[in-house]
Amino acid sequence: MGVRDTLRLFWAVLRANPLTLAGFLMVAVLCGLAGIMAIDPWLLVRYGPIQTSSASYAPPSWAHPLGTDNIGLDIYSEVMRALPLDLGIALAIVGASVLIGGLLGLVAGYWDRPGTAGGASSIVILRTTDVFLAFPSLLLALAITISLGRGPWQAVLALMLTWWPYYVRLVRGEVLAVKHLPYIQAARAAGVSEGRIVLRHVVRNILEPIVVYLTMDIGTVLVVFSTIAFVADAIPYPSATPEWGSMLSYYQQILPIASYPWLVFGPGAAIFLTVLAFSLLGDGLRDVLDPRTRRALVRSRSRPLPEVPAEASPARPDDPEAKLSGEVPQPA
Amino acid sequence: MTDPVLTVEGLTVNYSVGAGTFHALQDVSLEIRPGEVVGIVGETGCGKSTLGHAIPRLLPEPPARIESGRIVFRGTDLVTVPRWKLPMVRGTGIAMIFQEPLNSLNPAFRVYDQLAEAVRIRRLRESGRLPMFRPDRDDPFDYSRPPPPPKGGTLANAIVPGGVTAEAVQGRRLGSYRDDVLEYLRLVRINDPETVLGLYPHELSGGMRQRVMIAMALSEKPSLLIADEPTSALDVTIQAQVLTLLKELIDEIHTAVLFISHDLGVIAETVDLLGVMYAGRLVEIGPAAEVFESPRHPYTKALLRATPNRSKAEGALDTIPGAVPNLSRLRPGCRFQPRCVLARPVCANDPHPPLVPIGFGPAPAVHRTACLFPEEVAQLP
Repeated sequence: MGVRDTLRLFWAVLRANPLTLAGFLMVAVLCGLAGIMAIDPWLLVRYGPIQTSSASYAPPSWAHPLGTDNIGLDIYSEVMRALPLDLGIALAIVGASVLIGGLLGLVAGYWDRPGTAGGASSIVILRTTDVFLAFPSLLLALAITISLGRGPWQAVLALMLTWWPYYVRLVRGEVLAVKHLPYIQAARAAGVSEGRIVLRHVVRNILEPIVVYLTMDIGTVLVVFSTIAFVADAIPYPSATPEWGSMLSYYQQILPIASYPWLVFGPGAAIFLTVLAFSLLGDGLRDVLDPRTRRALVRSRSRPLPEVPAEASPARPDDPEAKLSGEVPQPA
Repeated sequence: MTDPVLTVEGLTVNYSVGAGTFHALQDVSLEIRPGEVVGIVGETGCGKSTLGHAIPRLLPEPPARIESGRIVFRGTDLVTVPRWKLPMVRGTGIAMIFQEPLNSLNPAFRVYDQLAEAVRIRRLRESGRLPMFRPDRDDPFDYSRPPPPPKGGTLANAIVPGGVTAEAVQGRRLGSYRDDVLEYLRLVRINDPETVLGLYPHELSGGMRQRVMIAMALSEKPSLLIADEPTSALDVTIQAQVLTLLKELIDEIHTAVLFISHDLGVIAETVDLLGVMYAGRLVEIGPAAEVFESPRHPYTKALLRATPNRSKAEGALDTIPGAVPNLSRLRPGCRFQPRCVLARPVCANDPHPPLVPIGFGPAPAVHRTACLFPEEVAQLP
């Protein structure tokens, strides 16, 4: 399957589902902005991370699109400067969790026959997972962050350590559901090796729920990370590395907040939009991954499959060969 | 006389479920020679499918356990083969068609992907890039070359979704297996194979799916094909079509077939040798025509009488009184004895009556029955 076909499929799905298109565009814009901010922030913002302007408590205006705070920091600049960090952290934590947890879940789910080496490793993996799950992940991550010494990378590491067990459970459950289906047995009967069955047949059929969970999880991680940043004081604000969560927790202490709603609006909206973007995208990805909905989407919105060539078309009723296999593909 | 492809000797399989042990197969012996079609019939739960799955070692072990016996496939006892070598036997050696065409195809793969995987395995094994089952050596497995790295990366193939348009399917991107795949789709008489290549299982009818399954099994050129109730899940007209196809293919390809079914009508016209199973035991085996015309085991007789069209033209269908015994609590002696009209005290004595030949003839094809009173069976109405 070529790159062009993939792109064509992608476009067909996006066109068929406006919400997916919105989610995809939002994610693309967020990633693009994050890229620009990482390379040269001055293209998009006019203030440095701890550079104050003359006006404090200025409401949104052309000079300050999201207003300024008590000491005159431009909130728009702060929110934009936090974008690459927040996005990168969320993706890194979720990515590491799905890799570690997914692999362990695959192993624990597929090789779980009691009394074998696989069964023993499955028990070890699952009980280790249980130990991690026994603690509230937020508290555990907080404890790890503080014991490692407060800081953004300590917080990231702590979240990675506490986040993977959920993926073990999720993946294992899906594998257990899939591995007894007849097509896995059929692949085994066809001489496909166990490793290939796991990587090709099992993984492909459990992708949908995992991709959906993963994209939604990006939002959760963002919020939890912000919480840790606040509670553990891992990322002080204002600082050279602003972060949405610490911004929110800092500004919500400024009273009366009703007089200066723009203080929390900027970072709040940034978190909201990021979570929304990934959720919408995840929903659409599920449609792409399921051949049924994918085919339906593409069929309904784009041009139909080319007509069957004349010589190969479902034959005349008097054709004995055709009678033998008189079934034709069911119309979608 | 040619050597058998498969010899099953005294195969005994138990399932350990919860507290009890189910004696699913007991002392089953069977021989299949090249090109021969052997049918197995019996009621639900008599061990037919267990036998079919036990031969390529597809039973989940545990809970299943091969207690004793040998499964000699082309000179190698599969019971002693370590589990990791079994993929070398399956596919290119023994292929299987399953009962549920609905779920036996991977829903995420196109017809092409399913078949290409089978063709790929055969090619890799034939070219020596994957170890192959070689019966003509002392050690039947050839480890001379390590398996090659998978082309294009297995993980990448697993994650990138399949194609969507017919152009994509017909394009050169499909790789080098396209011709082989088309050949086998034509072999199973699929109309317009070029279009079918790009379809997903959910877009195919039940009969088409079963045809694709058959194509998959045959494309690996197995020496033995196990068909486990290949037509049971299909409706009657499609069943007839698939059966006709199977019969034609068996003639064309000349592979040995173990045909498992609970439907005597399905099996009657297809098989050379017919085995009848009851409660985990083979109770009668012989040339199909002979078993049908003059059954020598009371169970076979009763089973034939219970078949529509065969017993009488009108009135209620004959039934076999009683039920199949609980396989976890077997009584000594003949397993059919509690339901048998000919039963006598001697029937309840251990051991179970062995399969003994009736009359004379070449050993493997002779009609054999596990009843102590075969002559009296012949006298039954």
